[in-house]
Amino acid sequence: MINSSIWILWTVAVMVITLSIRNPFYLILVIVGLFYLGHRLARQKNISAWVLSNSRFILTMILLSTLINGLFAHVGSSVLFTLPKGWPLIGGNITTESLVYGAINGLMIGALYLLFNIINLALNIKQITRLIPRAFQPIAMVVTIALTFFPSIQQRTQEIKEAQMIRGNQMKKVADWLPILIPLLVSSLENAILLAESMTARGFHKQANLKAPLALVSLILAAFAVFSGWILQVYRYPRPIYITLFLLGSGLTVLTLFTIGKRSKITRYHQESWRLLDLLMGFLITFFLVSFAYLALTDRLLSLNFSPYPRLTLPRIQTLGIIFSLITLLPSIISNHD
Amino acid sequence: MINFKRLSYQYPQSSHKVLDNVTIDIPAGTLTLVTGASGSGKSTLLRCINGLVPHFSGGIISGEIQVFGSDPIGEGVAVMAGKVGFVFQEPEAQFVFDTVEDEIVFSLENLGISRADMDRRINEVLNELDLSGLRHRKTNTLSGGEQQKVAIASALVAQPQVLVLDEPTSQLDPISADDVLKFMLALKTQRKLTVLISEHRLERLLPYADLILNLSEDKTIQFGDPQQVLPEIVQVPPIIEIARKFGLSPLPLKLETFPEISTDLLPSSNAQSNHSPKIEGETLLSVHNLNTSFSCRTILKEINLEIQGGEILVLMGPNGSGKTTFLRSVLKLIPSSGEIYLNGVDIQNLHFSEVIQNIAYLPQNPNDLLFAESVIDELKITLKNHGQDLTLINYSEFLDHFGLAEKMDQYPRDLSVGERQRTALAAITIHDPNIIFLDEPTRGLDYHAKRSLSDLFYQWREQGKAILLVTHDVEFAAHLADRVAVLERGQIIFVGSPTNAFTNIHGYQTQTAQLFPNRGWITPEDIENTTKPTF
Amino acid sequence: MITKKIFSLLFDFFVFSLGLMSLLAPFILPQARSLNQQTATFPIMISLILGLCLLIMIFEAQYSLLDSKMIAFLAVLIAINAGLRFLENAIPGPGGFSPIFILIILTGYFFGSRIGFLMGTMTLLVSGLITGGIGPWLPGQMITAGWVGQSAALLTVFVTKLGWKGKPIEVGLLAAFGALWGLLYGVIMNLWFWPFLGAGVGQTFTQTVSATENLQRYAAYYLATSLVWDISRSIGNVLIITIMAKPILKIFQRFKLRFSFENQGVTAL
Repeated sequence: MINSSIWILWTVAVMVITLSIRNPFYLILVIVGLFYLGHRLARQKNISAWVLSNSRFILTMILLSTLINGLFAHVGSSVLFTLPKGWPLIGGNITTESLVYGAINGLMIGALYLLFNIINLALNIKQITRLIPRAFQPIAMVVTIALTFFPSIQQRTQEIKEAQMIRGNQMKKVADWLPILIPLLVSSLENAILLAESMTARGFHKQANLKAPLALVSLILAAFAVFSGWILQVYRYPRPIYITLFLLGSGLTVLTLFTIGKRSKITRYHQESWRLLDLLMGFLITFFLVSFAYLALTDRLLSLNFSPYPRLTLPRIQTLGIIFSLITLLPSIISNHD
Repeated sequence: MINFKRLSYQYPQSSHKVLDNVTIDIPAGTLTLVTGASGSGKSTLLRCINGLVPHFSGGIISGEIQVFGSDPIGEGVAVMAGKVGFVFQEPEAQFVFDTVEDEIVFSLENLGISRADMDRRINEVLNELDLSGLRHRKTNTLSGGEQQKVAIASALVAQPQVLVLDEPTSQLDPISADDVLKFMLALKTQRKLTVLISEHRLERLLPYADLILNLSEDKTIQFGDPQQVLPEIVQVPPIIEIARKFGLSPLPLKLETFPEISTDLLPSSNAQSNHSPKIEGETLLSVHNLNTSFSCRTILKEINLEIQGGEILVLMGPNGSGKTTFLRSVLKLIPSSGEIYLNGVDIQNLHFSEVIQNIAYLPQNPNDLLFAESVIDELKITLKNHGQDLTLINYSEFLDHFGLAEKMDQYPRDLSVGERQRTALAAITIHDPNIIFLDEPTRGLDYHAKRSLSDLFYQWREQGKAILLVTHDVEFAAHLADRVAVLERGQIIFVGSPTNAFTNIHGYQTQTAQLFPNRGWITPEDIENTTKPTF
Repeated sequence: MITKKIFSLLFDFFVFSLGLMSLLAPFILPQARSLNQQTATFPIMISLILGLCLLIMIFEAQYSLLDSKMIAFLAVLIAINAGLRFLENAIPGPGGFSPIFILIILTGYFFGSRIGFLMGTMTLLVSGLITGGIGPWLPGQMITAGWVGQSAALLTVFVTKLGWKGKPIEVGLLAAFGALWGLLYGVIMNLWFWPFLGAGVGQTFTQTVSATENLQRYAAYYLATSLVWDISRSIGNVLIITIMAKPILKIFQRFKLRFSFENQGVTAL
């Protein structure tokens, strides 16, 4: 079992890399790697036909985005056929290039979709809830209680529905749901008061010292820094400027949240264990990510960019690119050693 | 020591004081039984001990409270959580987490206890309450009794000096209730706790109470030794009622300590009880060979039961024996095999709407039914659902039977627990069904509400209706039942007279029957009523 | 008090505009529409900034409000709303119809913008967790649903100024609001998704497309994909709100005092 923080780190790395790739070859590699990983995880959990159902979805996605781009963008030189220009929006040339461009979009979306699917397989709800940072403790509480309360809602709804049916409610129109929703709402809110009492009686209280206007200001500044960094990047300002802004913004966010989290006096019982393997993976992934960022920003990984326009050509392939695309296999390799 | 000094409190937006000048000293290490009618202030008083009143509830408070050297009014609930553990009435509703372990750990996390200590305390409390095997279970898969034990564990893991329980067993069946109380008492001794517990059914705790605190309706408070306070309480368990009849002093608190009364002092035993059906009505509902399965488990096996008009049939059985399933099967809410005849017609040939025309069903939680703006609207809604004419009914006359004539235009949720129940009953009987099913209607009701309920039953019986009452409350059933059926593990193991059931079936014997076996008495009233004419 | 209000409004405005600007970037920034490497970073950056906005809003809301009562209150409503979301699939008819909006709108309307925002975001998060479907579109859903709840609070201004409280027109206003957001929700979600689809990359590979052209392209994309969904969502909202808003508001009214998080205060006689 890989530590959930490592999973998150891995997810971030895969996302960053995937979203930086426009080269269909690499994207396909990424997707293949993800399918492999997902297949193994699904087998562990006795979920059948994971690959099948997901590939259906992904193919549909790719098809759709191919068509959308193909029909609406009339750019490119290899014209397949032409729709009458009079037709609104879709009139014009339908080119291979635009189809390919659409397909690339589809591949990227598909890869992201698969990635999240894998996270759902790898982590259970408890683990995900526990990953919520300390700084968001009240929200974590809301999520926890909502999850705890949910099964009883379903049960209550059934009970109320039956009781009302026996009273003659025929459950045909939308308005017939009111006799179910209202008692449900009222009893749930009554329950909420009792819950709040129960929580308070066991020492739960608003951590007053966590409310810090300074933290808010620093978060806003951080967001602004990231935003301006992005705008500057778009307007082709020198690299060092916007990179600094990004780093500043992200760093400030993390720092603020971390500091706020530290102030909370609540201790945590459940702590996931860290094994050597987890640390090793963490190190590897970070190394991967940092070197990727460096290489990409210093233009050593130009094969990442690929544009079918103006004329469709075969994409360039670099070995480095292949290696980075295979980051998706990292958990599988590591867990083989498990 | 817990001291109240001239404590007075009123809730926000309220004009009267719930607690008025209360002065009481509770010694350490005692178990105090807190009693009183609903609305008398029991819950409020208990909540003063850990500060929920006034910090959680708002309102106006005056006077002083001292709990083992701390002042809840001054310190607030979070601080008091380390000194006072609180267990609430509803087992599942008080859970924040969905697993046992997480729930128990919650208070430790809030108090900032170190991780090393946490482990030790958790293991300790799980062992004490015999919950170690349930450590990783989901709380919604536990029985009510197990859930309350988890609640007690969650409270005790903070190692408080005081344990307060607000009607902890009122939602439980008798076996679970006994189990929970047994553990709680053991823990009281082991951990040297001071315990305050409020209960309607005094008989469970009477043997163990060091002190009784009674809040009576005239706002006076009686506090002291059971022998001192019991004479002042009006609603007492059968054992005390009987003891009073014979003028016993001191009052016996346990069945075992009830003295032998020589036979010449006892009224002549008349085997004819006044517990048999008054009217020979026709069979309204007849069930043959009913089998019900649910997700591959057989829940009901070959059930045979008939209900006549003008009788009160009480259905009893342990939790999980299938009582609610039985009701749902008859109502065709779940598929079953066997023959069910309603008024002589096979239920297979009847449409659901025809079935419910004749049967009314009060669910375990009557609030599930109420959603209208006023009591009278609830009645009209049922009539509309059944397609009946709204103008033909004299609503105030109808509501008068339920004691609700003046509350006709009130918002149902503003009413008291008992009144809400009766509103629900009015709403489901307005279309004059002749069979009425009630599922555990006495839970959490105080004496007055139970009286009103039984009055209603007598009225319906007079009208020739059939009443099927599912309940755990043996003493209540003994007063009313015309016939008793016992369901255990999906099978009917007994159908017969109440006298037989409440005297001979183990686990269902009333206190009266246990005190005077072989006399055919099952309620205290039986002891003097033996000269009543029989049918 | 007033400075607090001003600060709060400024805060809302800032965060909202940040989010809005990132969503509208494909139309405003010509670079978005050119065919070079810039387009690859657009989806990431827009998602990142929206994510930051989401984070900040949640952070601010939780600390101004959440004591045990509000936590329990929200959690319970969210559980109900998550349950309602399951009904989405059970109801026949065109997709897009979603019963979750009525509670989000009414909570924001009655209890304020912060609670409304949290109600929206957390409903999506929790129902995502329950269905085991954390998808990459979750942050977008969360912030948009959050905005639904947050903006509902603005309606109170209208209602109080025009004295509409308690009258049928109040429900009418809420229903219209639900209809509006039925469409807007789809629009915004698509806006967020648009860069992933290339944001309507340009007419030729050398020129960049004008903003209007891109808008047209977006409109086409929208029409083709989600208009039907959104219309059924709007109609669903109107229907549900018209029937259920009044009783629900009544219940909120009854519980408002009990959940009042301004502690009534302990006064001594």
